[in-house]
This record gives sequence, C-alpha cells and structure tokens, in this order.
Amino acid sequence: MLTFLAKLLSALNSEASPGQVAFAFALAMIVGFTPFWSFINLFVLLIALLLRINFSAFIFGVMVFSLVGYAVDPLSARLGETLLLNPDLRETWTAMYQNEWLRILAFNNTVTLGGLIIGLIALIPVTVASRLLVLQYRHRFMAWINKLKVVQMLKASKFYHLYNTFAG
Amino acid sequence: MTKWIRWSGLLGFVAVIALIAALILVALPWIIKFSIEFAGTKMAGAKVTLDDVDVTASPFGVKLVHLQVADARQPMQNLLEFDQAHADLELAPLLIGKAISNELSVSNLQFHTARSESGALPVEEKKAIAEKNAEPSATQKVMEELPSADEILARETLKTPQAAEQLQTTWKTSSQAVEKAVSSVPDEKALKNYEKEINAITSGRLESLEDFQQRKARLDDLKKQFKADKQALTDARDTVQSSRKDLSNAVAALKAAPGEDMAYLKDKYQLSGAGAANMTGLLFGDEAAGWAQEALYWYEKVKPYLDSGGADEEQVEEEKAPRMTGRFVNFPTSDPWPDFMIRKAYITGPLDGGKLKIEGRDITHQQAVTGRPTVFTATGVELQSIGDLNAQLVLNHTRVPGEDTLTLSISDWKMAPLSLGVAGAELASSRVRLNADAQVISGELVAGAKAQVSNARFSGDGKTLFAKELNQALAGITQFSVNASAQGPLLHPDIGLGSDLDRQLQAAFNKRIKAKQDELEARLKKKLNEQVDQYAGEYADELKQLAAMDGSLQDRLNSLQDLASAELESFKDQQEREAKAKLEAEKAEAKAKADAEAKKKEDELKNKAKDKLKNLF
Repeated sequence: MLTFLAKLLSALNSEASPGQVAFAFALAMIVGFTPFWSFINLFVLLIALLLRINFSAFIFGVMVFSLVGYAVDPLSARLGETLLLNPDLRETWTAMYQNEWLRILAFNNTVTLGGLIIGLIALIPVTVASRLLVLQYRHRFMAWINKLKVVQMLKASKFYHLYNTFAG
Repeated sequence: MTKWIRWSGLLGFVAVIALIAALILVALPWIIKFSIEFAGTKMAGAKVTLDDVDVTASPFGVKLVHLQVADARQPMQNLLEFDQAHADLELAPLLIGKAISNELSVSNLQFHTARSESGALPVEEKKAIAEKNAEPSATQKVMEELPSADEILARETLKTPQAAEQLQTTWKTSSQAVEKAVSSVPDEKALKNYEKEINAITSGRLESLEDFQQRKARLDDLKKQFKADKQALTDARDTVQSSRKDLSNAVAALKAAPGEDMAYLKDKYQLSGAGAANMTGLLFGDEAAGWAQEALYWYEKVKPYLDSGGADEEQVEEEKAPRMTGRFVNFPTSDPWPDFMIRKAYITGPLDGGKLKIEGRDITHQQAVTGRPTVFTATGVELQSIGDLNAQLVLNHTRVPGEDTLTLSISDWKMAPLSLGVAGAELASSRVRLNADAQVISGELVAGAKAQVSNARFSGDGKTLFAKELNQALAGITQFSVNASAQGPLLHPDIGLGSDLDRQLQAAFNKRIKAKQDELEARLKKKLNEQVDQYAGEYADELKQLAAMDGSLQDRLNSLQDLASAELESFKDQQEREAKAKLEAEKAEAKAKADAEAKKKEDELKNKAKDKLKNLF
C-alpha cells in the first residue's frame, strides 16, 4: 500500500503529462465497471501497458472505480439487458455471437456490456475532468501536500527511493 | 505515434500472460484433481478419489485415471469406478470458464465394485444398516401346515358338542315330564273295559223305571271317570307334544350344528389363495424395488442440475457473488456454450459377460442454452444372458416444466434363478421379454413395465405341506406376464405389481387347497356326524316312540270322547216311543186295506166299460 501511495505521489508530483495521468485514471473506469476477471479487462490492461500512460494512475483508478462499480452495477445490468434484448439489435448481437473470440469478450453479459458502454461514454469526460483535477492539484495543493508529515515520511522511505530509481 | 507506444509494456504483458498460462498448465492437473475430488465428495457424500490427471496440450484435453466414487450407503463398495476417461476441451470457451468437451470417452465403467478401504467420510456419521425385519410375512404365515381333523376338533369350541349336550338336557327334562303324564293315562285295556261297560249300560230293554235309574247312575259315574281320564290324556298329549317339539328342535339344532361348524372351520382353516399366490411380489418385488431405488438414487443426484430455465441460476449467482455478475443472454447458434457440456460421451463397461455401451449426447445442466435435451442410449453387446438390451434416457429441460423419459426394452433375457423367498421355492429358469417406460414431469412419476416370462421352470425342495402344495401349484405354470406401474410423487409413488402368474397360481393353489379342504371337510364331517350319531342316535328311537305315543294318546282321547257321548234313553221316552210305533203300525194296516178295496172297485168299473164298448161294435 505504501509502495502504491509512493507511486501515485510520484506520478502526481512528477513531470508526467496530466493527460497521461488523467487517461490512465479514466481507462481504469472500464475495468472498475465491468466484471474484473474478463477478457475485456485483459484487453484494457494491454492498452494500459502498451500506451505510454501512467500505470500507477491506472491502478489507482481501478481501485477507485471498483468501489464505484458496486453502485453502478445495477445500472450497468439494466442497460446491458435493454441493449441485448432490443429486437433492433438482435441481428447484430446474433452475428457477433457466432464469432467465438467476440463471445470470449462476454459481450452478451448484461453487466459487462452495460459497464463497458457506461465506461466508454464516460471515458472522455472523465479524462478531461481528471486532467483538470491533476492540473489543479499541481497548481494549488502539491506544495501543501508535500509539507504534510505523512508525505514527508513516505518520501523518506526506501520504497519511494526505489521506485524513483527504477522509474527513472 | 511511436512516442505513444510503450513496447516494453507489450513485452511485459506477453510475459505475464505466458507466465500465468504456464502456471495454469502446470497447476491444472492438480486443480482438476482437487476440484473433482472435492466436488465429487460433496455430491456423493462419500470419498471420491482420482489416481491421476493428465492435461494434454494438443488437442487440449484432460485424461482422468482410475476414478472411484464410494457408495455413501455402503462405504466398502464403490458406487462407480472407471479405469480411464478422456475428454477434449474447447479452449475458447474455457478461457471464459466454460468447460465444453466435444467428446468424452470412459472405459471400463463398473458399478458396485468392492473397495479395499472404506469410502465413508470421517466426519459423517454412518447410518446404521437397518436389519431386515425378521417378522414372518403373510405368506410365511400361510405356510403353516393344515392341522388334522382331530386336532381341529380338540382345539375349537364347536357347536356340535354343545348341541348334543343341549339335546341330552332337553331329553332328560322331557322324559321325566312325559313319564309322569303318561302314568296317569288310561291304557287300552281300560278303554276296552269302558266300552264293555257302556255297552252293557246302554244295550237291552229298560224293564222298569228303577232299571233305568240304576243304569243312569252307573253311566254318570263312568262319565266322571271319563272326564278325569280325558283331562289326564289331554295333559299327557300336551306334554308329549311339547316334549316332542323341544326334542325335535334340539335334534334339528344338533343336525344343523355340523354344517355350521364346517362353515366356520372352512373359513378359519382355509389357505388364503390370494395371499399365498402373490408370487409376483415375491419374485419381482425386491428386485424391482432395488432397481427403482438405484434409479431414484441416481436421478436424485442428477436432478439438482437439471432445473429448467435460468432464473434460479441467476438468482443463486447474484446472492453468492460479492458483485453483480450479470446474466448471459444467449443467441441462436450452432455452437452454444453452456457453463458445462459434453457434446458426445462414449462409455463402456462390463455387463453380463459382454459389454454395455452407453452413448450420451448434449450432456449439460443448461439445456435452455443448448436448446437440446440430454440423451443417453444404452446398448448391450454380446451379453450372455440377454438377447437384446436397449435403453434410452431423455432428460428434456429445454422448456418448463422439464420432462424426463426412460424407455427400456430387453428381449430373450435368461433370468438367473430367483428365489421366491418362501418355502424354498425358486424360479429356476425362464426367458423374459421386458418393455418399460417411465416419465417424470414436475416431480410426478408415471411409469409402466410389462414383462413376458416364458419357459418358466419352478423348483423347490420344501418339506412342509405348504411347500409341497406350492411346488405342485407352480409345476403347471410355464409362462406368465408381469405388469408393474408406478404413479405419483417421485419419492413416494403408488406402486402396482400385477401378474397373471398370480391368477394362474391362485387357480392352481385353489384347486390344491380345495382338494385338501374337501379331504379335511370329509374327515371333519365324519367326525362331527359320529358325534351327532352318538348323541342324537339314541334319542331318535325315543323320539319315534314319543311320536307314536302322541298318536296313541290322541286315538285314546278320541275313543274316550266317543264313549263319553253315549246317552241312556229315559224310561218314559221308551214307553212313548213304543206307543207311537204301535199306532203307526195300525195306521199303515188300515190304509193298506182301504187302498185294496178302492183298487177292486176301479177294476170292476173298467171291466164294465169294456163290455159296453164291445156291444156297440
């Protein structure tokens, strides 16, 4: 946990682009809103690793949105149910269902589809909002936070040094 | 563009995934073994052991070596075991946790094999095996030998001896009363004397008034005696008649008693043909019950996984999962993916010196996803004692309510000797053709079976009378049919077992029983009649004498009444009668004279008239 906090602080305090931090955080929303052990999330993980975005922010986002997911799940399930049972879309779903790799993505699961749709719709707004927050943090709160004894203790720990050493 | 790509991340991703895959492949055999043993033990309620599990990469599949499922009811026995099972697994569905096998083959599947060690779970309390009820069955009760006539007569409180005693008592009382009444009755000699005396009194001419009065006095005395004797006679007659009536009733009761006793004894000591002849239950009851129990056991094990529709499943998942897992909406496809499915299964096992081949199709607990029922077909190959064996089990839960049907046909089944469990008799050999079907809908069972048994040969070496009779009855039966039915709730259906064996056996039995009963009846009748003769015989003559006495008394009474009606004419009446007779005689003489004169004159006149007429011509 300390390691993770160190990583997060390092990301927030570093010269990393606010956009990279914000997108990583927003991308984690898809993981948080869909069932954790699914191939969609494996795909999202691949994106998070492949793209040059802040992975610590992504992990932090996964934790935050997994908690939010409890509240969002019923909405996701309802949305997924509505879409999957929509007669106009039935043909599309049936066609997709014939492909086993698409089926592996569990698009026909109500929570997975609903969570994915909600995550994708909210991706850009959350990215923008997160970027603004990162900027505001750096501008207004970073100096104040760094003065906190807890943070100073954390920065003095060997985890923080180790991370900064390897993260470059 | 490339500044957005982090190639090291891709390498890391691939490395991690490969590592995870490798770990899974390495751990998979252990995971599968543990899962099967854990879930199997939970399901079977007894130890489930698997010797080894191999995971093959190409084609991806699993091989299970020597699976043993212990029988919770008999821990030293396996419910089933097989040497080897091989199943290929589709990789894509497996990635999302769905185990789908295109083909499963199981070799040397055997049921009820012995175990080297107990399969009971250590924590589970063993249920004590219920001891078989030692209480004799109704049929065994029937087995008791027929008692002899003497034993029955000694054992039973019968009406015949009672009626005989009643006759004796009645006779004693009546004879005393009759003796007393008859002693005061005038005998024939007395009646003759009366007759002589009356004749003497009433015959002859009354000489004088004194003579008349003397005779009258004697007659009056006689009449007084007549009256007394008449009363005695009437009393005696009434007593005799009453005694006769009582004795007749007692004799009639005595004569009727043996009949009533016979009816009672026949009813009590007759062998119940229906009970003894219920051989179908004896022959097939236990076997059928065993099979039904076995089938029900397996059905109950499988049933929880055969629920129609997916509503319950979703609810369970939602309750158990920490987060909502959602629901899979399935679409039409030629390749459905339920959570678990074996598209085709080939199972072989030894049976009756040959082989039993079972083929399964679309084996899954989610038939709503596949849209197809699970079908098992079983065929016997080169069986020693069965000509053809074909069975089909269709578990159709594609709709609500689910419908499970079983059809079974067996032909030319050389059935092993079946003990009747009674009197040492057994069905030594037979050929059976069996057709059965069963259907379960919403927990309600409707099942029926018909077996045609031919070339039946019964044998038995029982020494008891019943055993001998049973063997005699069975000897004539070479073919019969058996019908079985079960209807009602699956766990408590109403079982019906009928057969024309029962009818045939009952007819044969009844014939034998009737012969024995006739024999016994004859002996009993003889004994009872001997008793009747002994008691009633000596009174028959007495009764005849009483009847004769009754007639004699009546005659005497009539004679006495005739004698009593005799009257003595008075002396005055005698004088007047004589005077009147004399006058009548004189009148008749005078009239005859006058008539003669008138005739004479008429003749004269006629002659004169004739003479005148002659002169005219």
